[in-house]
Amino acid sequence: PLSVSPAADPAVISPQDPTLLIGSSLVATCTVSPDFPLKAEDLYWTLNGRRLPAASYAALGPSTLSVALARLNGSRQQSGDNLVCHSRDGGILAGSCLYVGLPPEKPVNITCWSKNMKDLTCKWAPGTEGETFLHTNYTLKYKLRWYGRDNTCQEYHTAGPYSCHIPKDLALFTPYEIWVEASNRLGVAVSDVVMLDILDVVTTDPPSDVHVSRVGDLEDQLSVRWSSPPALKDFLFQAKYQIQYRVEDSSEWKVVDDVGNQTSCRLAGLRPGTVYFVQVRCNPFGIYGSKKAGIWSDWSNPTAASTPRSERVAGGCDPKGGEQNTTLRRELKQFFGWVKKHAYGCSNLGIKLYDQWRVWLQKSHKTRNQVGKEP
Amino acid sequence: SPTGDSWGIFTFLCAALCNLPALPALNCSEELGAGQSIQQTYDLTRYLEHQLRTLAGTYLNYLGPPFNEPDFNPPRLARAERVPSATVDLDLWRGLTDNARLAANYRAYSRLLCYLRVLDGQVGTAELRHRLAHFCASLQGLVLSIGGVMSSLGYPLPAGPAGPPAPPGTPAAPNDFLKKMDDFWLLKELQTWLWRSAKDFNRLKKKVPPAVVTLRLEARGF
Repeated sequence: PLSVSPAADPAVISPQDPTLLIGSSLVATCTVSPDFPLKAEDLYWTLNGRRLPAASYAALGPSTLSVALARLNGSRQQSGDNLVCHSRDGGILAGSCLYVGLPPEKPVNITCWSKNMKDLTCKWAPGTEGETFLHTNYTLKYKLRWYGRDNTCQEYHTAGPYSCHIPKDLALFTPYEIWVEASNRLGVAVSDVVMLDILDVVTTDPPSDVHVSRVGDLEDQLSVRWSSPPALKDFLFQAKYQIQYRVEDSSEWKVVDDVGNQTSCRLAGLRPGTVYFVQVRCNPFGIYGSKKAGIWSDWSNPTAASTPRSERVAGGCDPKGGEQNTTLRRELKQFFGWVKKHAYGCSNLGIKLYDQWRVWLQKSHKTRNQVGKEP
Repeated sequence: SPTGDSWGIFTFLCAALCNLPALPALNCSEELGAGQSIQQTYDLTRYLEHQLRTLAGTYLNYLGPPFNEPDFNPPRLARAERVPSATVDLDLWRGLTDNARLAANYRAYSRLLCYLRVLDGQVGTAELRHRLAHFCASLQGLVLSIGGVMSSLGYPLPAGPAGPPAPPGTPAAPNDFLKKMDDFWLLKELQTWLWRSAKDFNRLKKKVPPAVVTLRLEARGF
């Protein structure tokens, strides 16, 4: 056990905290401070806690021991491999962090979207399929196409680890150039530049106030109603909507694609007495005359409704009520027939009245398939 | 004993009633207010101890072996002395006044919080940063809780900066390996302090006399 030295560290390692390419070799030296009574033969090395073979050591002086490391693998942890010089009893004299890895590759697949034309969020993928083994910093940069200086995005990780959010000061009608720079201790790589117009990548909030209700007693239909997203109501665009619905205990969604511009739709061909979950989403198509489709919003929160389950065999008619009406009609007919026969003086009036009444009768019973008889 | 039980019940009732905002007229003694805070502070140290176990595990794995080996015991170099040590002579500890005991805790956690915040700014992975941020928030809560206990007992808060990101007079580690050692000792000291604080607050809990509270309840006709 060593006493604490107030002035100097017990030993010095060289190189201290080097950065190396995978596969390279390294010779490190540990030199004991003159205040310490240790010789080269009292020392040994470990790398990430494992003792290195004495065969790789060489004494370069009375108190300096070197170690040769060949064909280094990528660092075990991003904080660096721990190369440590020990005294015979295991005490730590000094350490050096080795950063072994690869330079970054160009980031790829940059995709961006703007929420209601107010901001821009972009995400990308790191170029390397495997790992660089080193901590890599990503910087998203953007500038207006024909003028303007480079801007740097500040808010990272808003939509996953490789993403950035630009919250304000975005211009419309002029395209932006956007790219991502990846850098680590071994170098820098710049992605290809992506050019886009904010208006072409607009998305919006999901439709609000989604209501699903029954259509009278119809067992196989539900009516869906919603409001267009309020944020874009002042802008000229034709919203497109999509509906998806599923049965309560299934995970298969059915999509209704041709909803177009309306804010209501009727779902048909449904199962009676079943609970359905319905969601709607919106695409701000052709905003400000852009020829492109926008980006679909998230789906609205699911709304549930159930189709009615029928309790009778036939359709919705109430036979009892119908019978009553037929009896009344028969009696009225008989009455007017009698008036016609016996009211000579007022026969014209009577007939006219009767005829009008018959016309009315025929009109109101058209749907009940009653054939009107000629008086 | 039955008498002991009724004291206990009275104390419990007053504690419960004191927590109801609808009874502002109930004049709970300051000692009882402190009693509640001491209990809460004790609970916080236990919670932080639990949180630290996960945080330390993740962080030491990030530092890599040998730092995450269970028997790792590096020398405590001179520069590591800047982190306040919880280790103290037993008789000295027993003899601490309430004020001194609380002040030691307050000072230690204020400094530890500073160092942890510096760590937060430098550390590599997003997961670690997230955990550290969460722990710092809880630790800040502990500092405030201890301050609350001190105030309710009428003790002045220890002077000195609880704010600045790096306490003055401490140089940054000269190399990455020494920085890893500093980080290791920071976590170790945090752990030791939380163990010690649990005992400190347990001791303080026992010193808050329930008898004083009971007398006041009787005076109010309960």
